[in-house]
Amino acid sequence: MEQFAPVKRSKDGQPVRYLIVDDSVFARKNLARMIETFGGQVAAEAGDGLTAISEFDRTHPDIVLMDITMPQMEGIEAAERIVQAHPEARIVMVSSVGYQENIVAALQRGARHFVQKPVKPEVLYEVIKYVLGEDGSVAVAAGAGV
Amino acid sequence: MTDSPDERGAELRDLFFETSQELLQALNEEALKLEKTPGDEEIVRVIRRTVHTLKGDAAACGLRELSELAHQFEDALSLEGAATQAAVAEIAFAAADVFVEMIAAYRSGGKLPSTRSLSKKINDLTAVPAAAKARRTKKTVGKAPAAKTSAARASAKAAALWTEYEKLAMTKAQAAGLAVYHVVVKIDPHCAMPIAGRQLIYNALGGVGQVLAVRPDAKSPAATKQVEFVLATAQTVEQIAAKGRIPTISEEVTVEMMFAPSPAPKQPAEETGFTPETAAEDLLEVEASVVPPLPIAAPGLDPAGTHAVQENILRVEAGRIDNVLNLVGELIIGKSMLQQALIEFSKRYPKELLRSKFADAIAFQARVLNDLQRSVMKIRMVPVEQLFRRFPRMVRDVSRQCGRQVELVVSGHDTDLDKGILDAIGEPLTHLVRNAVSHGIETPEERRKSGKSPQGTIRLNAYHHGNQVVVEVSDDGHGIDAQKIRAKAIELGMTTPEEASRLTEAETLDFIFRPGFSTAEQVTEVSGRGVGMDVVQSVLHRLKASISVETHPGKGTTFRLKLPLTLAIIKALLFWVEQRLYAIPLNAVMEISRTFESEVHQVDNYEVLQLRNQVLPLLRLGRPVPDGDARRSKLFVLVIMVGERKYGLLVDALEGEEELVIKALDDQTFVTDLVSGASILGDGRVVLILNLPAVVEHVARWRPQQTGQSNSGLLLTPMDRVRLALSTNAGGQA
Repeated sequence: MEQFAPVKRSKDGQPVRYLIVDDSVFARKNLARMIETFGGQVAAEAGDGLTAISEFDRTHPDIVLMDITMPQMEGIEAAERIVQAHPEARIVMVSSVGYQENIVAALQRGARHFVQKPVKPEVLYEVIKYVLGEDGSVAVAAGAGV
Repeated sequence: MTDSPDERGAELRDLFFETSQELLQALNEEALKLEKTPGDEEIVRVIRRTVHTLKGDAAACGLRELSELAHQFEDALSLEGAATQAAVAEIAFAAADVFVEMIAAYRSGGKLPSTRSLSKKINDLTAVPAAAKARRTKKTVGKAPAAKTSAARASAKAAALWTEYEKLAMTKAQAAGLAVYHVVVKIDPHCAMPIAGRQLIYNALGGVGQVLAVRPDAKSPAATKQVEFVLATAQTVEQIAAKGRIPTISEEVTVEMMFAPSPAPKQPAEETGFTPETAAEDLLEVEASVVPPLPIAAPGLDPAGTHAVQENILRVEAGRIDNVLNLVGELIIGKSMLQQALIEFSKRYPKELLRSKFADAIAFQARVLNDLQRSVMKIRMVPVEQLFRRFPRMVRDVSRQCGRQVELVVSGHDTDLDKGILDAIGEPLTHLVRNAVSHGIETPEERRKSGKSPQGTIRLNAYHHGNQVVVEVSDDGHGIDAQKIRAKAIELGMTTPEEASRLTEAETLDFIFRPGFSTAEQVTEVSGRGVGMDVVQSVLHRLKASISVETHPGKGTTFRLKLPLTLAIIKALLFWVEQRLYAIPLNAVMEISRTFESEVHQVDNYEVLQLRNQVLPLLRLGRPVPDGDARRSKLFVLVIMVGERKYGLLVDALEGEEELVIKALDDQTFVTDLVSGASILGDGRVVLILNLPAVVEHVARWRPQQTGQSNSGLLLTPMDRVRLALSTNAGGQA
């Protein structure tokens, strides 16, 4: 597995905290593993949009990774509602190629970025650095993997 | 995360194989629903979502073929007009089957099944609504309001030419003290979603300053290689470029200053009424109004409704829980050792005050241990729904194959059962349900003739009954003809006509569980039961479970499986037979009674006992006592319930009741099925746990053939082997 220099929060040097939203347990676990390799921390997981909103309110994660097609409430609506309540929320849509229109809609509603399924760790890593911008910093310590 | 990529991949695949089962199950369930209410768009949406998830997961595992097929199906489902076709349910079934086969092939590393016929079906599905799709695309494009977006509507070819409106906006911005930049972002040709990528570029650069002009506009359906902006901003070239460099999307960003900020004093925006701000706002407004309606599922519509709960579920490999359970078992043995030691201690030092302290500590430990055991058992409990879920699809398929009309009614699906038992009864239950459809239920014509509704009903039910779980499979078919079974049994030499005439109906029905009863020839003529029934029986024996049949000619048949709540720990009654300690599950014991040898009577080579007003068939584990003085010796009779019938088990003495941790016995040590396991007591003694259904069956099968012999005790032959094995094996442990 690739090693990435850990990305930390600039303000306190703590691990970046993530909310992973996907109705597939498999996809969630997969993302969680990647996040760990970036030095991040899974603050919460959710399997549908409604839970995502309540989990966001509960944990205030730095980044939300949001699937689009989910039961109860789809990712776009959940993203929109989260951004309405928390304009600072950084939401990255995670979806397959076939859902381009939906991604466009999500981006118009405040999502910050998107990655395509199947998610490649190196892509997600770059996206996360981009989305964090000034608020994230890459630890320079050599060999500090995991 | 020190796993090698290979290990991680394998682990991921395992996870996928596991989670995909649920997806496929959901697919089957939704397809069944869709079959009942064809054209229900909500169901089609759920199917599509399920297929979508499957696709995504498969792709992440690198299972390309599966992912592609799922993708094809998903695409077809997203077409307008596809949802309304009746064929969707059929294709969903076919797809579920192919997916299952593919996953099995991936799992075993075998050859992938052909997907051609499914692909063709899916293509047929898309052929019809292709026209509809074209219409829809046009509609989306046509929705862009014509007014206000003159800037954006200009074709990409005219990129360099800004409209009058845009030029005006640029001048205004410049006058407002902002620099105006021309930004070109080239989209990475590898970007799989260029339109979404473009939107992201709009978002990123829109945050930098005021967007005065943009090419192409957000509504352009065509994929483009680059996006051009005219931005008014106070930020530097480098800051703009940084914003434009979006990972995975932009390949190259060039930023050029078009106009430096005008030194003229900033004009209040309101004065002109046509400031860059308002222009930008207009643009934004337009964009927002163009967003196509989204297929957002209404909250709370998810029929399963289980997803919200799933969040707190932890997936643990069953083996790990078994380990914990084993350890709990060892602790329970430890507990009885301590208790044993305390008893001895108390005897030796009756005055010692420490005694009560020990007793307290042991009592406390016992209580905690009890809770621990119960908690671990609960972990192993799963609702039978997990098992029942597979049947709707199966009943549908089988009933179609054999031309029956069957409705499946499932109840009690939230009854909990040990996971191990649940897994083990899957096969037998499938057998029973399949038989009920193909042989239990009559054809629609037959049913009509006998005045029933053409559609038959099969009921699956589960419920707790004392310390057991009962699972029932019943049909309202023609029932089993006991006469035919009798005739068949005689023909097969399993019984004699004379004996057969004396058998009760229940005893007669038991023949269907005998090995060989069905193998002689196709049994369909004997009402069809018996196909693999002996297999059913043997699985249930292994589980210390029993099965009984209840049939009413013309009205239907019910198979009733009685299963223990758990396999690992039982409350047992311990007793002695010929200086050997045995145990049986306490829940089988109805009553304990005392009698004399002289009360035991012989009827047809069976030993029976009259207990109050009923006659009990007796099971004798030891050797029968010779006539004479011994006839006056006292006996204990354990009245036990096996299946639906009572038997009397003759024992020499009782030891007491105890919680036993069952240690499985391997097949090499034990050649008999009369013993289901062994356990170690606190003092190190070994006790054999009898498998009552097998013991009873042994009597039923063998006694009639022992006519004339002075019978030599039921357990003699096999049990001697057991004793031999135990004395060599357990001797060391004790």
